[in-house]
Amino acid sequence: MTIDWRAYETHGFWDELITANGRARKGAGNLTRMLAELSDEELAARRTAAELAIRSMGITFTVYTGEGSGSIDREWPFDIIPRLIMKKEWDTVSEGLAQRVKALNRFINDIYHDQKIFDDDVLPREYIENSKEFREECRGISPPEGVWSHVCGSDLVRDADGQMYVLEDNLRVPSGVSYMLENREVMKRVFPELFEDYVIHPVDDYPNQLAACLRSLSPKRSPQIAVLTPGIFNSAYYEHAYLANAMAAQLVEGSDLVVDKDDKVYMRTIEGFVQVDVIYRRIDDLFMDPEVFHPDSALGVPGLMRAWRAGNVALANAPGCGVADDKVIYTYVPDIIRYYLNEEPLLPNVPSYRCVDKEERDYVLDNLDKLVVKPANESGGYGMLIGPKASKAERDKFARQILANPRNYMAQPMLLLSTAPTLVDAPNQPGGIAEGRHLDLRPFILSGKKTYVTTGGLTRVALRKGSTVVNSSQGGGSKDTWVVDLE
Amino acid sequence: MTNRNRILSSTAERAYWLGRYLERADSTARLVRVNSRLLYDLPKRLPLAWQGLVNITGSRELFDELFDEPSEKNVARYLINDARNPGSLIQSLDNARENVRTLRGIIPRGSVEYINEAHLYAKEQLSEPLSRSRRAEGLDEIQSFIQRIEGFMSANMLHDAHWTFLRLGNFIERADMTSRILEVGCEDIFEAASELEPFNDIQWRSVLLSLDATQSYNQVVQGPVSQEAVLEFLVHNTQLPRSLAYSLKSLRNSVRDLPRNEKVLRVINRLRRQTGALVVEKLDIEGIETFLDDFQGELASIDTEINRTYFQYKPRRRPRT
Repeated sequence: MTIDWRAYETHGFWDELITANGRARKGAGNLTRMLAELSDEELAARRTAAELAIRSMGITFTVYTGEGSGSIDREWPFDIIPRLIMKKEWDTVSEGLAQRVKALNRFINDIYHDQKIFDDDVLPREYIENSKEFREECRGISPPEGVWSHVCGSDLVRDADGQMYVLEDNLRVPSGVSYMLENREVMKRVFPELFEDYVIHPVDDYPNQLAACLRSLSPKRSPQIAVLTPGIFNSAYYEHAYLANAMAAQLVEGSDLVVDKDDKVYMRTIEGFVQVDVIYRRIDDLFMDPEVFHPDSALGVPGLMRAWRAGNVALANAPGCGVADDKVIYTYVPDIIRYYLNEEPLLPNVPSYRCVDKEERDYVLDNLDKLVVKPANESGGYGMLIGPKASKAERDKFARQILANPRNYMAQPMLLLSTAPTLVDAPNQPGGIAEGRHLDLRPFILSGKKTYVTTGGLTRVALRKGSTVVNSSQGGGSKDTWVVDLE
Repeated sequence: MTNRNRILSSTAERAYWLGRYLERADSTARLVRVNSRLLYDLPKRLPLAWQGLVNITGSRELFDELFDEPSEKNVARYLINDARNPGSLIQSLDNARENVRTLRGIIPRGSVEYINEAHLYAKEQLSEPLSRSRRAEGLDEIQSFIQRIEGFMSANMLHDAHWTFLRLGNFIERADMTSRILEVGCEDIFEAASELEPFNDIQWRSVLLSLDATQSYNQVVQGPVSQEAVLEFLVHNTQLPRSLAYSLKSLRNSVRDLPRNEKVLRVINRLRRQTGALVVEKLDIEGIETFLDDFQGELASIDTEINRTYFQYKPRRRPRT
């Protein structure tokens, strides 16, 4: 048996490759035809080849196995059927992302300086004063180019009507970009012939772009760049090492760095201390400097904030940028874009309800069984209520939480996330069968002297049937993302 | 455009310890493997012979705490797969594995994979009690893993300062092991055996075997195995990779490639002079033992100096401006 697209069901969702009447979507014909031509054995062989490539390339992610028992490295779950996006659509999305991040950076800079946006009544002041991610210590600091979030990962989803929405912006320490790069490498090994049929835009420029972005943050001609990682037990350590290596930057842990009396940052090398000019930090704000934040943090560098404030080191992303990462602030992003850029947003937000507003809160409480409720400051899909799938008891518990702290919640209608054909195991068919699985897309946006948006991004797939949770820690996998030009 | 690659103290330190643990795993495997063959020949009433292997690792007290008698079974377990013994083969491989985890991107992938495999193999296949043949086979396999690990590194990794520190770890550990083996050679645990005709040179034959040096010895010395000739050979021969002189020479050559090496070189050269000045035939056993004790102390000083110079130095104090 081979893949039979006529038997493929889209179940009323928007499918990225196949239309509701079972035809290949525009541009996907070559791909679906080639897949259908593969015998079950060939398909199985490609899947095995992908698994082998992932193993031999050592592409892993770390899963915590619980208190005390530490963590294990798992191989990256990968589906060999790529997701396609037409170049024309991508150009619009990409422009929208650049616009969004530009406005968000202006917003953060304003929050830590004049706070004009409050004076102009676009956003209530107390939202920021109550935000967990607001850092008083950052007030009055002017990072280079006025940029706070140098690396942003925004999550995009497509609803049943085919429209792409921004689901959230990750402005602090978004991860996943190394998997975007590795996915492409794996695909080139597994399906080299497809790269003959398609004009697929390359993704491998990212490390160079990131390095250029980081360099632009220092006045020096060739600044010393370091990637600061919490260490091997962090779930994204693989990525930290990957990026440091690809950028020819130094991978360091907090214990490798010292801030001396001159308020400069040095790394301990066998030649003695060497000054570090730019730090791409992959640890959370609160762990960065025990002198200022968590005093017992062993991951950070005492004095780092001092060095940053003195302008002796650039930190990417800047501390405090999470203030715009807040899910309630998210609901204001369209207003933020209009306010700072005087432009209409190119990419829509998912319509959202703010629980802090009495009318909207009442609507949310009356419709908990239809809505997704999100806390303001969680990531990775934690702490959410998925109303239609929750029990009455869970909904009641959330209702109480919302009433107790309305500022901390927002709600959105349950989106019908788009799907793409994904190979799933089937009895007596080693190659598996193609079934629709829900997915999202995380592009990465770099902001320094210039702005850069990745070509496509990381497509994450919820591998469990019917699930919309795409996080790798919770049963998610990924697919290569092809931005293609039709000739 | 970019800065030249700097070597972090922390990764250099881990490379150094990787070198030490790999060497330690290798010498422990060899120690048990080759001595077993020799000890099988001994009459059963000489159980103390196995004690010698424990003494070489310098952890007799711990062994006595854990076991009642130095039987073959106990000693093999203690040296091979006892997690309670920090110097056991399994612990050395485990430590090597931990160090290499943070050296990904520096150590070739092939080496990393073999280190993981060797550890897994030791855990699964070398669980004492084992039959003598299974044990011998398993230890052979471990040594061949280590050969492959080092082969990959030697042929594929950048021979930069990480490599130098890895080699420093190898040579320090090797010199330490050779001196310990010589020290035990000087002890009298084989005394009872050496009075028996076929075994009168057994303790020095064991020393040569423990260092895989029998073949080389026969090539160079071309005479019977004697205490004096073996000591002379293992201390002074500059062509034998496991002799003291060779290890020290290699240490010095490696350190020469490093920056800021004056102090470390000074300590190494001091030990080279002391070792070079040793005249074996002029000393009795006690004199040799004192020399070997001092030798180990000096190796510890080299280790301390490496640590102080490259790994754990403090931030400099700048004059106030």
